[in-house]
Amino acid sequence: MSHDCDCGDAQGQLYEYLDAELDEETAHAVRVHLDDCDGCFDSFEFERRLKTVVRSHLTEDMPETLQLKVRELIRQETLKA
Amino acid sequence: MADQADFERDALQYSRQLYSAAMRMARNPADAEDLVQETFLKAYRAYDTFQEGTNLKAWLYRILTNTYINKYRKESRRPSEVDLGDVEDLYLYRRLGSEDTADASRTTEDRVLDGLVESDIKEAVEELPENFRMPVILADLEGFSYKEIADILDIPIGTVMSRLHRGRKAMQKRLWEFASRRGLVPEDAERP
Repeated sequence: MSHDCDCGDAQGQLYEYLDAELDEETAHAVRVHLDDCDGCFDSFEFERRLKTVVRSHLTEDMPETLQLKVRELIRQETLKA
Repeated sequence: MADQADFERDALQYSRQLYSAAMRMARNPADAEDLVQETFLKAYRAYDTFQEGTNLKAWLYRILTNTYINKYRKESRRPSEVDLGDVEDLYLYRRLGSEDTADASRTTEDRVLDGLVESDIKEAVEELPENFRMPVILADLEGFSYKEIADILDIPIGTVMSRLHRGRKAMQKRLWEFASRRGLVPEDAERP
């Protein structure tokens, strides 16, 4: 299998790679490049960590009462039918 | 009418996730609660049209998204384009790596990733215009695939990708400003 992936290719596919959107062969080619290229590896690693940080900070605690309100709403809707 | 027990068992498990997304859309708890309640009520009423075995979570998010857009779009006077000016790819990363050694750069990166607080990230997302915010919420908060996001928002995959890309760039620009304000980054930093 050929792994023709240079820095430009890798950078152009950064988000698709991190979002797990690449097919296996293309993802493999990117991985091979990252093993060889410290510069690309560092930038991918930073973006990966940023993605994790973003996700962890966007999650919200749901008010306990909301679940009850939703159940009640559905019960009332069922009675209407 | 859908079976109540089935619906409660299958759909309500997503309520916490839907609430997080609703908060990032509506930007305040009262509207987010309304949005979640309305979403589940609509979903329950339409549950007969849901095809069993298909993606229930994505279906619920589609209802959430449409409910949000129908309810709040009229009030929206925000710009629908992000001003990216000179924002290049890897915007944040490039600005953190100007230290003399790779180790020093790594230390700065760690400081920023650890030092950005929850309100920075939330603000950076919530400031995005709606058409960029939606793909970012669905991808970065919920982890939906591009295809799922395209189906939820009813836009082509290519549009999902470009909006996600531009939305993330705009976020990085904002996060850089927050990081600078908090003194997390070196002065006039730019990776060569």
